[in-house]
Amino acid sequence: MNWTANDLDLYMQQQEYIDTALIPLVHIGGGGAMKQSASSAEFLMNLSAFIERQFKGRVVLFPAFSYTDGNDKSRLASEWEASISDMPFKHVFYLTTDPSWSREGIIGDAIWIPSIPLESMDKKLKQSVLEDQVRQIIPVLTARWTSE
Amino acid sequence: MSNTRVSRRQFLNYTLMGVGGFMASGMLMPMIRFAVDPVLEAGAAGDYIPTSQKVSELTEEPVRVDFTYDQVDGWYESEVTGTAWVYREGDKVVALSPVCKHLGCTVNWAGDSEHPNQFFCPCHAGRYEKNGQNVPGTPPTGPLDEFDVKIEDDLLYLGATKPNTLV
Repeated sequence: MNWTANDLDLYMQQQEYIDTALIPLVHIGGGGAMKQSASSAEFLMNLSAFIERQFKGRVVLFPAFSYTDGNDKSRLASEWEASISDMPFKHVFYLTTDPSWSREGIIGDAIWIPSIPLESMDKKLKQSVLEDQVRQIIPVLTARWTSE
Repeated sequence: MSNTRVSRRQFLNYTLMGVGGFMASGMLMPMIRFAVDPVLEAGAAGDYIPTSQKVSELTEEPVRVDFTYDQVDGWYESEVTGTAWVYREGDKVVALSPVCKHLGCTVNWAGDSEHPNQFFCPCHAGRYEKNGQNVPGTPPTGPLDEFDVKIEDDLLYLGATKPNTLV
């Protein structure tokens, strides 16, 4: 499901099946890190759209949550967690290319994937690269689904 | 010059009839065109999307075939990648849509090691037989959709989806 009115209508009717929130955490870098962060964001958005398509009936893909270096990450994380826990999701997956979330233990179970620059790839290659990445993430998702 | 005399009354009659007829047809023609428009519309037969799948390489084992097309949604234009599961059945080619009939996830052939000859939906463990028939007792409520298929120069073309005709 995407974060659109139509999809959320369906979500309201099928809450027992759609029990997972997927939140991409996108870092906005300043100065010399701008292009690098744009490339990571592009990769992350492509990847999460792919996961959404694969698991449309179980996952709600949230609009990307973006933050800058000036944000206090642990505050953001606790605010997010408090708001999400009000929503009827059984599982919340954070997806990010920024290793600091899980490394510093801010969101311990954030799924970190190394960013791959997609901008110079042609369509076919891009798709197969994304497919490979998704294939690695799927076991992580299914493991958490079956663990509860 | 001919000798037949045309009276002023006749002349005016003819002229009025001619001009009136012309005006009436000018009004009626578009109306008739609108009324029969659905009949005149060219069939959407050009909507087949080419894939790179060679038909001669297909076997009875379903393979994934990807195809891309442009989609415009509001101002957001994107290139969408679609997928189909394609296999050969006798001399017929069958292309099934991978969209699960439950909540729209993507199903995979042999995605579950316990059921190697079925389509498997990873979201809620829905299963389908090879012909798209949903396995009773799993969440899906109907069989997988089927694509219209066209073969040209040994290449596979996929058309619109339609309800499954195999089950």
